Amino acid sequence: MSVFLVETDKAGLQKFYEEIIGKFETYAPVEKFGKFDYKKVSKLDECDPDSPIGMTMSVKPLFFPKTAKVMKFKEDNTGTTVSETDEDPLTGQRVILGVKHCDARGLQVLDQVYKWDYIDTDYQKRRKNTLIISTRCDKADTQCFCTSLDYDVENSDAHDVRIVNGLNGKIYIQAVTQKGEGFVKENLSQQSAVGSQQSLEEIKKHYQSFEASFRLKMDYKEVNEKLQKLFDSPEYETVSSNCIGCNTCAFICPTCHCFKITDEKIKDTGVRYKSYDSCNNGYFTLMAGGHNPRPVKYRRWRQRALHKFVYYKERFGMNLCVGCGHCAISCPVNISIFDVVNQVAKV
Amino acid sequence: MDYSKQIQEIASKLFAENKIDYFVGYKQNSFDDSQVPFLITDPAEIPKLVFTDKSVFNLANYLKPDHTKRKRVGLVVKGCDSRALNLMLTESQVKRENVYIIGICCEGVLNDKGEKAQNCVECVMPDPVVYDERIGTPTGKREYTVNADIRELATKALEERADYFESIFANCIRCNACRHSCPLCYCAKCCLDQETSTLYHGANTSSGAMHALMTWSLHLAGRCVDCRNCEKACPSHLPLHLLHKQNESVIYENFQQHLAGMEKDNRGAFYKYSLSDPDDFIL
Amino acid sequence: METEIKEAQGKIVSAENPGITAPADWQPVIIGILCNWCSYAGSDLTGTSRIQYPPNIRIIRVPCSSRVDPWFIIKSLQTAADGVLISGCHPGDCHYISGNYYARRRFLVTKKLLNFIGYHENRVQFSWVSAAEGPKFAKVVAKVTEDIKKLGPLHRYKKENF
Repeated sequence: MSVFLVETDKAGLQKFYEEIIGKFETYAPVEKFGKFDYKKVSKLDECDPDSPIGMTMSVKPLFFPKTAKVMKFKEDNTGTTVSETDEDPLTGQRVILGVKHCDARGLQVLDQVYKWDYIDTDYQKRRKNTLIISTRCDKADTQCFCTSLDYDVENSDAHDVRIVNGLNGKIYIQAVTQKGEGFVKENLSQQSAVGSQQSLEEIKKHYQSFEASFRLKMDYKEVNEKLQKLFDSPEYETVSSNCIGCNTCAFICPTCHCFKITDEKIKDTGVRYKSYDSCNNGYFTLMAGGHNPRPVKYRRWRQRALHKFVYYKERFGMNLCVGCGHCAISCPVNISIFDVVNQVAKV
Repeated sequence: MDYSKQIQEIASKLFAENKIDYFVGYKQNSFDDSQVPFLITDPAEIPKLVFTDKSVFNLANYLKPDHTKRKRVGLVVKGCDSRALNLMLTESQVKRENVYIIGICCEGVLNDKGEKAQNCVECVMPDPVVYDERIGTPTGKREYTVNADIRELATKALEERADYFESIFANCIRCNACRHSCPLCYCAKCCLDQETSTLYHGANTSSGAMHALMTWSLHLAGRCVDCRNCEKACPSHLPLHLLHKQNESVIYENFQQHLAGMEKDNRGAFYKYSLSDPDDFIL
Repeated sequence: METEIKEAQGKIVSAENPGITAPADWQPVIIGILCNWCSYAGSDLTGTSRIQYPPNIRIIRVPCSSRVDPWFIIKSLQTAADGVLISGCHPGDCHYISGNYYARRRFLVTKKLLNFIGYHENRVQFSWVSAAEGPKFAKVVAKVTEDIKKLGPLHRYKKENF
């Protein structure tokens, strides 16, 4: 991992952000009705790159949009013609500010499925043309458990550049990837000191209580093993009893990638849309003909928990859950997947 | 307002006498001081039951067959919750003999900021309208007031109001949490859940959100009890009460001061008519 | 100031979006949802009596005004319509006895809610037209068309791919 560090302070960081917003198409957390969502910004005061963890939606919609036009179609007496839509595929060069580490890791995890049996070219372009600037969290929120899972938060390479805090108000802009290093060197116009070994130590000191700030800790390997053996556990029913079957957790999750295809037609022309879907929905597994393999609530929850902690790891070697805690905070009845898997695995 | 002990006693008694299969109450949330719904089948879980001014969620939602499978249920309801339950009974969604209702004379619940929730400040009926056991001292029906946000929005210009509502609809992610948490939305197959989107937008577009939210609030008009489950459930924090309170104020003003679920066997406003309903807007 | 007035002259401004204008000869599209037994028959009588009325209205026949679900109105406004007219039997004359009484309640609440979220109140209008009221139907359509012409094209909340 690159140790290219630039030392700056709050004012220097603001200037860096302003320069980026001025030069590139930039997305950052923008507040609306008390929640932060990544939207395009044209000025620094429209956004808050340091938005609170629990109140920030994930960055997933910028790579897997909540609704996207797939194609246009037109029927006439010669048959059906299919054409490209005029929607912006969001594949231009862009920068995202204020990404959380869990969210950035979520993109690394999502990459696996988008290059698996079908190469999603739009997704690949978006990933290639986006530069991710993370802000490292100083401490955990109430529902976070990212440090308990299978990735190294401290040395994460999921982002290109990250902003970390040092001692005495010093802020470091750390280039993590080669792309990030090139970006920082080109775009940091102000004179700033390049960091040293001492800087790395100061950063370590600042984050020394990070690990201890986590209320939630688990042994994901043990949970993974136990869940594989406890498929028929009656705990699934107890633990999902107050779930109301809405789609919130899957839509908010940085790694959920289920979608549905719907056609919107007016007379003989129409557009095909791809939008979010959730396996927790009662009709997710409904098939033409009326058969529904998972009509019962606890079975859908079991599938969700196993997909997050067992199946994806089996297939791609990575845990699908990244421990961000967004599902628990946004859930209308605050069901946490952490509680679900730990209660079933009885750890 | 702390009735945790009384509720635990009643729940123990009900399980001991084998009168219920499920008990629906509240328990402490694991990560902050709020409370979440708690469904028990095992009497050993009873000590976790609580009831204070943080018991916000309308538990009548759990009487839908998806959750309690039409079995015998004992549940805790506040004033507004009991109105929703009353309406569910009137609309034949729940059998009266299958429910043991513990009605709480509510003193108002707190919102996320720790202040009294807006719908509690404007509450018309804090006492339970239907119950098997009542806890607390009844204070009677209160005078109806038009919601403060509605009054404010009505003074704004058309374009400004339209811009505000467009921003609301643009932030909707079509998760359907609002409908799933509403006790009165019990249709086995909701028209807004259609897979074929010739009628409704299946996609997550902003116009689709407008269509869905407007239709939902109009299907709920005259039946909404202002429990704010929908607003609390919404992950995008949309102010959904604006639509419902607007309908409620028009119905109250024009249709014999109708409020949902107040009396036994009193169906929603759209299930009846009067020969003298307002007609002057019709050409 | 003077140039602005000149530009507005001879153009119709959309009531909900003052930035959108249409030329003075713009014709609105109005969706008419008429109940089969009274209003549809009444509109038929208008035609057979050779009474002229504006051609902007496109008629959809429903069995009763009570059949009209609010989403018909919303969907019409989201797609082609600049305005909607819903017409039924006079109170007391409904072919299904009481359909229009129930409908009357729903119409009021729907109209107020649509106005609340930003549609001008004249975008959706209602009328009672009986099977014998051929001339009245023509008058109603003329009034509604005139009202919508003044309001300009509807631009708010239109469906994305429309």
